[in-house]
Amino acid sequence: MPQTVRSELAAPPHIERRTLRILGTEITLLEQVRARAQADLGFNIEFEVLDFLSCQRRAALEPETYDIYDQCFHNLDIVWFWGSLQPIDTQRITEWDRLTGLTREGGINKYAWRGHGDAPVRKLYVQPGEFLGPEPSRHISMLPTVHNLDSFAYDTRVFSKSGRRRESWAWLLDPRAKGRIALVDEPAIGIFDVALAAEAAGHLQFADIGNMTVAEVDALMAFLNDLRQQGFFRAVWRNAEEASRLIRDDQVSAQSMWSPVYGDLGDMADVMAEAVPVEGYRAWHGGMSLSRHLAGPRLDMGYDYMNWWLSGWPGGVMARQGYYMSVLERVQEAMPPAEWAYWYEGAAATVDLPGPGGNIVVRAGASRAGGSYWQRASHIAVWNTAMDEHNYAARAWDRFAMRVRGETP
Amino acid sequence: MMNPPASPLAIQKRYELITRVLRLNILSGKLPKGFVLLEGPIAELMQSSRAPVQTALKILEDENLVHRFSGRGFLVGPAGLDAEPLRRDIRELDLQISVEIDEALQSRGTWELVYDRVEEQVASCLIFGEFRIVETELGDYLGVSRTVVRDVLSRLHERGLIRKNQSSHWIAGPLTAQSVREKFAVRAILEPAALRLAFAHIDYAEVERVRARLAQGEDLEWEMLEDTLMEHCIAKVPNGELVQLIRNNQLLLSAASRALNRLGLPRDRVAHGEYHTLFDLLARHLVDSAAEYLESHLRVMCDKNLARLKIVAVISQSSAIATYLTPK
Repeated sequence: MPQTVRSELAAPPHIERRTLRILGTEITLLEQVRARAQADLGFNIEFEVLDFLSCQRRAALEPETYDIYDQCFHNLDIVWFWGSLQPIDTQRITEWDRLTGLTREGGINKYAWRGHGDAPVRKLYVQPGEFLGPEPSRHISMLPTVHNLDSFAYDTRVFSKSGRRRESWAWLLDPRAKGRIALVDEPAIGIFDVALAAEAAGHLQFADIGNMTVAEVDALMAFLNDLRQQGFFRAVWRNAEEASRLIRDDQVSAQSMWSPVYGDLGDMADVMAEAVPVEGYRAWHGGMSLSRHLAGPRLDMGYDYMNWWLSGWPGGVMARQGYYMSVLERVQEAMPPAEWAYWYEGAAATVDLPGPGGNIVVRAGASRAGGSYWQRASHIAVWNTAMDEHNYAARAWDRFAMRVRGETP
Repeated sequence: MMNPPASPLAIQKRYELITRVLRLNILSGKLPKGFVLLEGPIAELMQSSRAPVQTALKILEDENLVHRFSGRGFLVGPAGLDAEPLRRDIRELDLQISVEIDEALQSRGTWELVYDRVEEQVASCLIFGEFRIVETELGDYLGVSRTVVRDVLSRLHERGLIRKNQSSHWIAGPLTAQSVREKFAVRAILEPAALRLAFAHIDYAEVERVRARLAQGEDLEWEMLEDTLMEHCIAKVPNGELVQLIRNNQLLLSAASRALNRLGLPRDRVAHGEYHTLFDLLARHLVDSAAEYLESHLRVMCDKNLARLKIVAVISQSSAIATYLTPK
């Protein structure tokens, strides 16, 4: 149960500098964030960056190796039920009342469709019996932080961008891109990209795309394997670096995308466009959780660190990768107005804009595909999800991905 | 789960033999006071299934040679003995087993000697997906003939653990969320009904004993609570067919649970509390309320099991999977 006791004493003098260990992924754990957090908070911060699957496995199996776990809501089912985390007391989250409705209530506004699958609100609140659910309670499983609305990139030489073409997920598996398609290799993500594509193209139908049945998973995998045998797929990738290399080397005409990759396309930036699919986005939401072993002064450090993330400046750094933050006011205060206008309001960039590393990732005159945060966040088709049949689907996906890589499962 | 005996005569003989071996070794001191007696290892040592071991332990409990404690199994020594549980492999103790008994134990059908081990191995691979069993590989693994392998496979088939696919290969698994949901739905239909029908036959003394220990805050093991509910309450229903249906339906679920526990999944404190409530109701003879409570408990357990199953996705196919099981 929650450990709400604050340390009664100030830190004693002349002790070794304390350290907080953060386990996470390349999404949020940037060196400049670590350095700034360490300077602001007055204790050492260690980042351990793993790929998506290793991070989740480590979080579940070895909670004693980290203090804060920074990943996504769709990873929670697995980590939470392994008993590796402890509930977060929202009364200790200073900006709790300012969190967007997208996380606290389930939609960006009361009329917005919530999307299929693991919308964060469905995993947010700790319910009686240690279940997670949408009924508001004082304790939460994960503090919502960065999030985004993802789609795919397409080749404007193949799919003409002129006129008002209907951009559809169907393009991700379109015969026009045959042999030049790449997918993200993470079952809770990649499966939904292809499921949206297969459904949009009219090949398959899902009763609930966010919670497929065994038969639906089988049908989807059979469809994918058929395409694979026909030579549709160029590659599968696991991190942003691999994704941008595929595009820079002109290997693909349609591929799953994460937003930081758009800022790293080199000469291909004018060729590859970010789709705004009519079916809606595949959304994801990141957050931070407390390892179950944290207590006393170290637990206080954990809360300090989480509160720091919502204080504005980190949100500005995340925005430069295209990610949104769960507390908007603080981020707007901390960001240069030109950047806020481009990333959040969907306005055309008035000047060249930098990425997190300082290099230019947006040219003056460009505007973000899909418009403002509020437009994009009202248009969610499905969330990244660990479905009921996740174990079954993930194993089928792994076999497919291995074959795309030319390995034998 | 118990392995039903081949014939009533065979089981009687076996449990008597096992009782004799254990009694002799307790009295001679080879089995020291406080030693933890577990069904599985004893069954393996005696080359038996678990059912006769269970019976033997109950007889020894009645003779006050062993007693129950907060953990799984029995402790050597009379009840009230204040001994630290001594957990060691019974095979290390070099028990005295007379030649006649040894021969008598050996004389049973060969397939029964290996069946429990194979059942456990097959049942625990299911959470990792679909596997094929090749008869010759299983034969090599067990060091037994083709005939014995077929006996083992037909028993596995009978119990719903394996099936034949279109090319006549033996297939095990996968355990999907759908099958977990369906099995829990069956549990929610059968078990509360059986509990109601068992009303007059429930071993209330046993329920009261466990309840009292829970009330004193004893940290009883989860499997022990499950066993108490099944063996002393539900299985007391005077309908052998129904008990068999319930046992078969639970088979996969408990095997999956054991496999998950072996992966290091922590204990479920909440379910622990639910058992306490259930035994409270039973101890007060409120069987209808207990049956209703059991039904809602099973619904919660279903959701929990679905969540636990997702966890397996991050575990790569365990090296613990027996070599004759070939991933599909």
